Amino acid sequence: MATFDLANISVREANELIRTAGAAGEDVEILNPDAKHHIGVGLTQDINVRIRGSAGYFCAGLTDNAHFEVDNNVGWGLADNMLGGSVVVRGNASAIAGEANRGAEIIVHGNVGSRAGQVMKSGTLLCGGNANFMAGYIMYGGRIIILGDSGEQVGQNMTGGEIFVGGSITSLGTDAELTDLAEAELDEIRELLDRYSVSFNGKFQKITNAGKQLRYSREEPRIRSIPFFEASGDVDYWNTKVQEDIHVKAQIGRYRIRGYGTSRPLPHFSDIAFRKNISEMPADQNVLDRVNLQTEIGGRTGAKPLTLSMPVMIAPMSYGALSKSAKLALATASRLSGISENTGEGGMMDEQRAAADQLIYQCLSGRLGWSIHDMQRADALEIYISQGAKPGLGGQLMANKITEEIARIRGIPAGIDLRSPSRHPDVLGADDLVIKIEEFREATGYRVPVSVKLGAGRVRDDIKIACKDGFDYVSLDGLQGSTGAAGNEVLEFVGIPTLAAIQEAVDALEEIGLPGELPIVLMGGIKTGVDAVKALALGASAVAVGTSALIAGGCISCLQCHVGQCVVGIATQNPEHEKRYDIPAEALNIHHYLESFRWQIAAITEGLGYDDVHKVSREDLVALTPEAARITGLSYVPADRNANRNLQSEVS
Amino acid sequence: MCGIAGVMYKGKSIDAEVGEALISMLDGCQHRGPDSTGFALYHACEPGGLRLRFFVGNNGQADVSISRIQDILGEFQAELLKEERVGSTYSIKIRFSGDIQKLAYAMESAAKLVSIGESLDIIKDLGGAHDVDDVYAIKNFTGSHGIGHVRLATESDVAPEASHPFWATGFADVAIVHNGQITNYWKMRRRLEKRGFEFRTDNDSELIAVYLADKLSQNIALKDALRSSIDDLDGTFSFLVSTKDEIGYAKDRLAAKPMVKFESDDLIAIASEEVSLNRLFPGHALNTSEPSPGTFDTWQRST
Repeated sequence: MATFDLANISVREANELIRTAGAAGEDVEILNPDAKHHIGVGLTQDINVRIRGSAGYFCAGLTDNAHFEVDNNVGWGLADNMLGGSVVVRGNASAIAGEANRGAEIIVHGNVGSRAGQVMKSGTLLCGGNANFMAGYIMYGGRIIILGDSGEQVGQNMTGGEIFVGGSITSLGTDAELTDLAEAELDEIRELLDRYSVSFNGKFQKITNAGKQLRYSREEPRIRSIPFFEASGDVDYWNTKVQEDIHVKAQIGRYRIRGYGTSRPLPHFSDIAFRKNISEMPADQNVLDRVNLQTEIGGRTGAKPLTLSMPVMIAPMSYGALSKSAKLALATASRLSGISENTGEGGMMDEQRAAADQLIYQCLSGRLGWSIHDMQRADALEIYISQGAKPGLGGQLMANKITEEIARIRGIPAGIDLRSPSRHPDVLGADDLVIKIEEFREATGYRVPVSVKLGAGRVRDDIKIACKDGFDYVSLDGLQGSTGAAGNEVLEFVGIPTLAAIQEAVDALEEIGLPGELPIVLMGGIKTGVDAVKALALGASAVAVGTSALIAGGCISCLQCHVGQCVVGIATQNPEHEKRYDIPAEALNIHHYLESFRWQIAAITEGLGYDDVHKVSREDLVALTPEAARITGLSYVPADRNANRNLQSEVS
Repeated sequence: MCGIAGVMYKGKSIDAEVGEALISMLDGCQHRGPDSTGFALYHACEPGGLRLRFFVGNNGQADVSISRIQDILGEFQAELLKEERVGSTYSIKIRFSGDIQKLAYAMESAAKLVSIGESLDIIKDLGGAHDVDDVYAIKNFTGSHGIGHVRLATESDVAPEASHPFWATGFADVAIVHNGQITNYWKMRRRLEKRGFEFRTDNDSELIAVYLADKLSQNIALKDALRSSIDDLDGTFSFLVSTKDEIGYAKDRLAAKPMVKFESDDLIAIASEEVSLNRLFPGHALNTSEPSPGTFDTWQRST
């Protein structure tokens, strides 16, 4: 057995040593843990780890196969997202014990804090004492066994799994109910208690989902005359689209859901232009050899940065919202163009990993499809806080897109209308976030960048926090960003435009004296290489394209992504529809579209007089409208409009 | 967004190493807030005496502020007993028997008042616990109790005056440290402002201090003030409050912010994370407990 003393070495050093011991199959003992965070994080070997004292946050988090024993208490997030193996805690566990459990046996002899087992998918969480507020909150599967009292609102918004309570049930949560208990289930519990030498002589009550809120109660009527943008009607007020919207709501009694982003005319990159008249710029093909577009992002804290052949990425979109075929076409196109692909919510596929050279792995609040093994094979990790299409809200995936396979990957029951939680279980503030980022770094040996995805709302505050919390870069998504499903009013009216977002972000970094310190990848309505150069000139380090890449790959913009019957096979899980999608052909189309960015970015950069795209600056820009001038602080020069018109025709 | 810590030694002696303990606890959770660190310390009470500490900065403006402070002392017929300039602050001891709230509001218009009290002294500045200690020699402080805070600024500025602990502007000897966000801040603030209280910052934590001090000044027991605070304040919070003789905590009903406590025959210590409590007892596994959502408690100093 190897013994490591945390009085002498840091947790980071200890975790490396624990992994080395694990690789050699050697058990480990930790002395003087003194409630320090992240002990054992990222361990994936079948060894025993004995912790002689109390551990802090995320003890045994992001692990698989290992067996932990803690002599005293643990902090928040015990065994976070543990895939298999076991943890035994002799004392108490703090909040969110067993969060996102995916198959481990987690035994706490004392009490557990609030929200134990939040978003767990599988495995067991046993609490020998009392549980606290909202045990089993949004659990999707697995079982929670509480020998003492349940605490308030037990089983709040659970969609699957079982909760067994030996003491009294303080109160039941929303959509949870008492159900009958089968003898076989009791036998299984007794077997578990015996195996961990826990004595209990009381009687259990069983709580499961009541099934009243798993689906939207009334389905939206299918209206063929799509899209239903208010702005696409014939007159401003009470136009046919507005009337249609009211009629539908009169039938279903709730907000409508649709795909895509806002349709409102908003100040955007088309409202700014280049100061210099570049209509005479050389348009020869060799411009690509003369201008540097190479972009590195994410090396700020010593991780291996993403290396992009141009300052462009594929925006995060999930397998689930999109078909596997569409995701593979995006991954392939990203490789062909030498840029990065992003998993979005819902896990990483083997084929996707193989198809993309550089793959960013996104972690969302529901921890759907989240796994230590995929973290360790990702090129970057991204913590999703919110997105431009629906800042502050969780994702939605309607039941007819949740196939058996998607349910299995995500660890959720098939056939529910999945509404992802709007918050992470373990990130309720900037202070918790610091500890979460550290957990990700420990899990991946500090090798890959960790970014944060932010929907543009209070960008100024958010960027300052992101910078202080030590993220390697930010993915900043403006109001024009699209989604596979969200409430129409949220899509249209929540958030601030992409143009305002980048300006606020840049200003925020200036205000804290760290201009340029935190790379910003801007997204939300980026359509062309012209937009990209303007975004970079305003201070972005790169842009990301989502909707436009999908359109390049065959999307017909019908806005019905949420329905799951996408006729071209992109936003569907229906095999008949997906068959229509020609992956190699669409991958090439997306690749060609991305190459149009490359040429435009290079040509404009040279036209502006630079040999490197990262030399463009706001000095190269003017505003074309008073609104854009007010938002960006660029000068408003009406005379420059003509120059811009010429440029647009030149490059298009 | 922050980390909080508080300690009260139970023995009759009032020379426990409170400063040293708070430095260790705050250093233990400095990852929760690297921007600034602060301490609310309670000295032995001297009847008739009053301590005031001001932010005056380090530039030429400091002398102007100090002379204004001294003018106001004259206007209020307060006798200056002792003065000291340390770091960016100016600290004085005075003899004063008039209306403390009036004096405090008058002083606030002259300089940024950090704390006022017969016993209370708030010391807060940019940087970590050890940085602040280096300037203000916190570790030399002995007493019976105190609270402290590490801050990660989210919505307001990184500035010494925006740091915690917050005193209740106009009330002596009440300090609070808070982790979380009060969402009905403006509603509650307007309610208190209508009753004549002044606010010196837009920081939601100041509201908690004024709210509690207002209750205390109506002879409501601290425990009862904490009970009503859980009903009246909306949002996420874990906070500690201290007075001359008591410390207490309150925790919101949503259990969104952490808090752990350790109690023995010798002391009660409360912090955001157990790692801070363990700093007081390195190498020992502590029998800690976590206050439940929507709960509060207080501890009285032995006299």
